[in-house]
Amino acid sequence: MTVPAFERLKNRLAEVDDLTKAASLLFWDQRVMMPPAGSEARAESMATVSRLAQERFVAPDIEQLLEDLRSLEESSDYDSFEASLIRATRRDFEKASRVPPELVGEMRRASTLALSAWGPAKEESNFEALRPHLETNLGLRHRYVECFDPGDETYDVLLDDYEPHMKTAEVREIFDELKEELVPLVKEIGDAGEIDDSFMTGEFDPARQRDLGLEIVRRFGYTDDEWRLDQTSHPFMSSPGAGDIRLTSNFRPNDLTSLFATMHEFGHGVYEWGVDPALARTPLGSGVSLGLHESQSRTWENLVGRSRSFWRFFYPRLQETFAEQLGSIEEEAFYRAVNKVQPSLIRIDADEVTYNMHIILRFELEQELIEDRLALRDLPAAWNARMDDYLGVAVPDDARGVLQDMHWAGGSFGYFPTCALGNVISVQIWERAREELGDLDERFERGEFGELRDWLTEHLYRMGRKFTPQETIERVTGSRIDAKPYVRYLREKLAPQPA
Amino acid sequence: MSSVATGPPPLERLGAILAEIADIRHAEAVADWDSRVSMPHAGAQARAEVSATLTQLAHERLSSDELGELLSELAPENDEDSVDSALVRVTHRLWERARRVPTELAGELAHTSGVAVAAWDEAKASSDFALFAPHLERQLELKQRYIECFPETERPYDVLLEDYEEGMTTAEVADVFDRLKRELVPLVERHRDETVDDAVLRGPFPVAAQQEAGQRVLKAFGFDDVSWRIDETPHPFASKPGIGDIRLTTYTNEDDLTSLFSTMHEFGHGVYEHEVDTAFARTPLGGGTSSAIHESQSRTWENLVGRSPGFWRWFYPQLQGLFPDALAGIGESAFVSAVNAVRPGLIRGDADEVTYGLHIILRFELEQELLAGTVAVRDLPQVWNTRMQEYLGVDVPDDARGVLQDMHWSIGLFGYFPTYQLGNVASVQIWQRARADLGELEEQFARGEFSQLREWLREHIYRHGSRYPPRELLQRVTGSDLDPEPYLQYLRTKFA
Repeated sequence: MTVPAFERLKNRLAEVDDLTKAASLLFWDQRVMMPPAGSEARAESMATVSRLAQERFVAPDIEQLLEDLRSLEESSDYDSFEASLIRATRRDFEKASRVPPELVGEMRRASTLALSAWGPAKEESNFEALRPHLETNLGLRHRYVECFDPGDETYDVLLDDYEPHMKTAEVREIFDELKEELVPLVKEIGDAGEIDDSFMTGEFDPARQRDLGLEIVRRFGYTDDEWRLDQTSHPFMSSPGAGDIRLTSNFRPNDLTSLFATMHEFGHGVYEWGVDPALARTPLGSGVSLGLHESQSRTWENLVGRSRSFWRFFYPRLQETFAEQLGSIEEEAFYRAVNKVQPSLIRIDADEVTYNMHIILRFELEQELIEDRLALRDLPAAWNARMDDYLGVAVPDDARGVLQDMHWAGGSFGYFPTCALGNVISVQIWERAREELGDLDERFERGEFGELRDWLTEHLYRMGRKFTPQETIERVTGSRIDAKPYVRYLREKLAPQPA
Repeated sequence: MSSVATGPPPLERLGAILAEIADIRHAEAVADWDSRVSMPHAGAQARAEVSATLTQLAHERLSSDELGELLSELAPENDEDSVDSALVRVTHRLWERARRVPTELAGELAHTSGVAVAAWDEAKASSDFALFAPHLERQLELKQRYIECFPETERPYDVLLEDYEEGMTTAEVADVFDRLKRELVPLVERHRDETVDDAVLRGPFPVAAQQEAGQRVLKAFGFDDVSWRIDETPHPFASKPGIGDIRLTTYTNEDDLTSLFSTMHEFGHGVYEHEVDTAFARTPLGGGTSSAIHESQSRTWENLVGRSPGFWRWFYPQLQGLFPDALAGIGESAFVSAVNAVRPGLIRGDADEVTYGLHIILRFELEQELLAGTVAVRDLPQVWNTRMQEYLGVDVPDDARGVLQDMHWSIGLFGYFPTYQLGNVASVQIWQRARADLGELEEQFARGEFSQLREWLREHIYRHGSRYPPRELLQRVTGSDLDPEPYLQYLRTKFA
């Protein structure tokens, strides 16, 4: 009895997926649980497991199976599981087969070590301590880029890993439009006078913040059976298997940013959670691109979590918990404070408008680094100059400058633009959801978020990676990626009202 | 670049393959630790798949032709005592055993364990053996298939024992256990009517204060936050995914102080792994040499240190400070007697030093009977309960506190239990040797100093990892083979 080719492909892909899941568990564990002295052994293990995943995937039998399955793919409906799996696997295979497994392992080892160095470097604000690691990462990225046919731009290769089929030029066009609209908006808002948010800093017990965060995400759909939430210095979401969604947040004692980080990571988590279970242990079983992923984290963080109606529901709970700090602050004042637009140093603490400028800066610097137009040695200076240029802020030290994000240490170049693309896409999807569901505010005010979650699951999450990101966006919204709805949303929500 | 004969030297190639296997095992260890400490409940199914794939992959690597060829190239090593020849010997043994087992069976064993442990968890919670029975049947069936991979072995149980205790046979274990049984049953009998004042050990002992007590003891033993962590889990264990990453677990219950002893127990496992020569990292020499030697160390820190009068002279005042209500007015000597009381009970994990051995002997016998088919799975609870009455004189009120109390069988650990008792035996042999070298230790313990003992153990046992087989190691350290007499002598002196 021979197993049909499609079954054999599925079995092989399941094994690869298991290894990928093992690697993501190792990553989560490293960030959340592992004692610091374990980092070298962990780097080796992660390198090996990633390399094995690559080796098991880029294997002659998979190539043969993909060949044998051409007719099944052609005879199956485009939307079917079979056609989608073969299609997506073929594309993944064509990309992966260009990269030697040794290089994959080496990139993983280097980035794991760099991540371990990044923490202390940031703490001591010592860029030079991280620089050799970044040199290694960048060198490996160069080798990676060389594995592919030269695109229109070198950066295209990197971008494609996070936002498949998207070109640097397209991103630049969208970002130019954002820059053109947002720079004046930031100025208009600045001219209208400062909003008081002094009450947002003070003493906020981290344990209570965690409880509040849990209370919120439980309303959104978090259950103890399938989710967990931990403290980490740099929040992320990880799903090391079906039925296992892990959020992290940074519960800092002096502000309430953890609430937004928790909602943000929930958005990533619920996307993974909502993928059709039938796609588990296949390459289709996760979110389709980082842009789409970020659209969902921003939906739950901003479109829901910074809306007036959400705070009408939740502000009394917050006030009650932190009575001393917030007892005398009106709901409207609080709402305005959490939506305050003000140029600042830290990307993850930035408001909805200036956030995009942080991304554009990184997008530009990454291109300059990978095209050797900027030396790493000069990166801090270039960073600081551009922060002044775009946001008018002076960077006091590298910890609050070029060292603030872990991404480059983690080897992620080409990732950042997806954050702003996510903002853009989030509003496109949001508009569509509201067209179909009607007024959501009334439901948010009652603490009801199930309908929105179910709509997103039905229209977006469940598709997983069956279609390309563009196809996915078009299926959900009926149009291509478009910055206009996002700009309109920002203006409506945040532009100063004419007196 | 493929078939040119000038590659790296064979030993280097061996190292590369072994490092890869160690890396996969590292991932397995994290997956296992996580599933018991941090994984959301609903993740169990997917985790079983991941673990099975990792196990299968490691098995494939370990049983490969490539490794076999390398080993035959490396075989004629003359320098018997070198680390390299130890590495070749240990690897050859693992390769030879892995070769026998088809990769599918290795994967199936891992997968079944993942599923069965979840069923056991549920069965134990509801004290419903029927929920677990089919999984136990399945495990036994797979173990039979595993045993069949080694047709030349004299007794089926020998195959299983060999996995945990190299060079030990069922007959030898039976000899040791018979000797123990002859002394332990009457010794338990003598203590039966003794009235122990255990009011001392009745809480409540607030959880946070117990954790603080555990931390203080661990710090004095040698735990630090850079290389170690400790977490709560219902069934404590220790794990080392890799160098610099030692993980202990404990279960803290406010009704008693058992977590303190289980913390010291797991420290013993942890310190053994922590102190292995770092040059052995990412090789099969990089961990403890056998389950019994491992257990000898957990028992050393839990019992020989942690229940000694010297230890409590140091720590009792602190403990009293942490539990001013529960321990008010209880003197140090009353406390030390209470933590050393002999009292037949239901739970192996809570058993005192004397009755513990009988819990093990019972399991050792039942495992053999299950495998031989002389006890059927459906009759197991009944047989268990009868034998508990016979050996320990206790009535088992329910299966949760009877046949379902231990996780081992659910994860396919048959042949493992005896190593616990062999560990007790070895611990006293090693202990006597340490005291012969170091002199009186109680005075140091009374000052909260444990580093001389730890250093001696590191020098003589821990650093060697798996370089020497367990019996050779024991011979090197103590000058004799496994011998129950020192252990019996220790029990007689302490408990007569």
